Amino acid sequence: MKTTRVFQITALLLVVVSVVTVGWWMIDLRNFVSTTTENAKLQYGHEVSAAQVMLDAGVPGGKVLETLPRVAIEGSAAKPMQSVIAELDAERESRKAQYEWESGFFLLALGVCIAVISRALRAEAQVLQEQDHFLALVSHQFKTPLASLQLSLETMTMRSLSPAEQRPLIDRMLADLARMETLVTRILDSVRLERGRVEFKRQPMDLGAAVSRVVGQLETRSTQQRITIAADVPRGLEVFADPMSVDVVIRNLLENALAAVAPVGGGTVTLSAQRVGGEIELSIRDTGVGFRPTDNVELFKKFSRLHPGGGTSYQGTGLGLFIVRRMMQLEGGRVSAHSEGLGQGAQFVLAWPIAPAEVP
Amino acid sequence: VSAVPQHAPATLLVVEDDPHLAAGVAENLRAEGYTVHHVGDGTDALEWLRRERCELVVLDVMLPTMDGLTVCRTLRKEGNNTPVLFLTARGDPQDRIHGLEAGGDDYLAKPFHLHEFLLRVRAILRRWEWYQSSSASPATAVLRFGGNEVDFRAFRARSFNGVSQELTEKEAMILKVLAEKPGEIVSREDLLERVWGYDVFPSTRTVDNFILRLRKRFEQDPAQPKHFLTVWGVGYRFLLEGEP
Repeated sequence: MKTTRVFQITALLLVVVSVVTVGWWMIDLRNFVSTTTENAKLQYGHEVSAAQVMLDAGVPGGKVLETLPRVAIEGSAAKPMQSVIAELDAERESRKAQYEWESGFFLLALGVCIAVISRALRAEAQVLQEQDHFLALVSHQFKTPLASLQLSLETMTMRSLSPAEQRPLIDRMLADLARMETLVTRILDSVRLERGRVEFKRQPMDLGAAVSRVVGQLETRSTQQRITIAADVPRGLEVFADPMSVDVVIRNLLENALAAVAPVGGGTVTLSAQRVGGEIELSIRDTGVGFRPTDNVELFKKFSRLHPGGGTSYQGTGLGLFIVRRMMQLEGGRVSAHSEGLGQGAQFVLAWPIAPAEVP
Repeated sequence: VSAVPQHAPATLLVVEDDPHLAAGVAENLRAEGYTVHHVGDGTDALEWLRRERCELVVLDVMLPTMDGLTVCRTLRKEGNNTPVLFLTARGDPQDRIHGLEAGGDDYLAKPFHLHEFLLRVRAILRRWEWYQSSSASPATAVLRFGGNEVDFRAFRARSFNGVSQELTEKEAMILKVLAEKPGEIVSREDLLERVWGYDVFPSTRTVDNFILRLRKRFEQDPAQPKHFLTVWGVGYRFLLEGEP
């Protein structure tokens, strides 16, 4: 990585030096052509003077023209021919124009090189910075549940607790483990998605079936948290998508909704679907903490964790919605988020292309 | 770790946004006999600390809305010298130094050992208790030397040239340790141990920097100190009267 960078910077410097050299050449050649033309004119002046001297010495005009053919002789006077001077001037102008065009072209080419190299350098620096940021955040995300696990275990070792006192500690530890497992899965998913290393096998599939499958998986948790999941998705709405990714997307949004409703002490999550034009829209609406309407884009960024209400914190990985957005992008669908504000609940809308009618 | 603090139970503020970790830390501190308050965010922590008093703040670095370093810096700027123990997921030396520069007293990286955490809490409280009890009487609260006057309780001083100075907690503590035994040699390790506790700083150079700061504040010619004398290879000696 480091040697590549050295090469890139060296190449950039070489190109910059080339630009300066070409620029200098251009100026130098122009001056050279001007000087050469002036010299040629001077030379021509000498020829005319020589012809005059020869005429004055009595050499016949015909003989003079044999030696100095570019001189015009009118009676006994030698004169410069306008066409010769014009030719010299034309030569100078055409050379100048040639040099200007050629060096202009080279400068342009070099300029493009500079732009390409420096852009690559900047992009690379940005990638490195993002990776550092990613690592810092990932390590923070892992260390918190790890610290909590260690603390609970050491508490149990250090203090003699009754089974009733141990219970909350054990629950906490199980939750911390689950958190770390989710984190690993999501990090792997998001890295694969980002690199585009996920193959989607798109096929017609029943959205209603996917919804009831995911709702079934989360029912125990929602009941514990006093959250009602009301799913009203009729069978027969067929979307054109990858079944795995549809499950992940719905699951992430449902988990997100549960996490938003839990802090307010329970509520409802409503799922509904309808056909809109060439798409099928799935709406997931919750009565949870909501978010500021202006945050509806920030929400989907990697490691974005909005803390609604200021004080209470939402324990997420900061990756769930990022994965949703990326999956929907890669699948040719879309996702959007709406909320009236903090404490007003939220609505997420997923949209997939409708499955093409079966070929008879 | 068993002993319950001997005096009135110390009050601690735990600032941690992770509910599990916060609960674990608070429960263990309560089991040690401390009174514990908990807030989950930097802004709330500042608000609480402006309203209430406590003996120690256990402060997470990564917090929503306002991070721990900013909280600590703001506290110090407002003249609040309550000791701070940073808890953080980042443990490299650079971050450690950032934490201490922000005015923190100690720094513990997550995941940490419960036993070590409790020991450090106790160490900070002990150092602090020592500082306060040794500045309690009117005779020990104020130190006068070479035209300087230091008020240990207010962390303020007026130097020989009439300039009033705000002392940081560490400067005041170092001065206190030195002034306890005027004329005697105090080693750098002693100063580290008494003021910071064991392994907080990577080197004893830090002590030297603090001595330089004290000289700048209180010596007429910091290059030719008369009160804060270096004893080469050992440590420092403080003279009340000043070297003739």
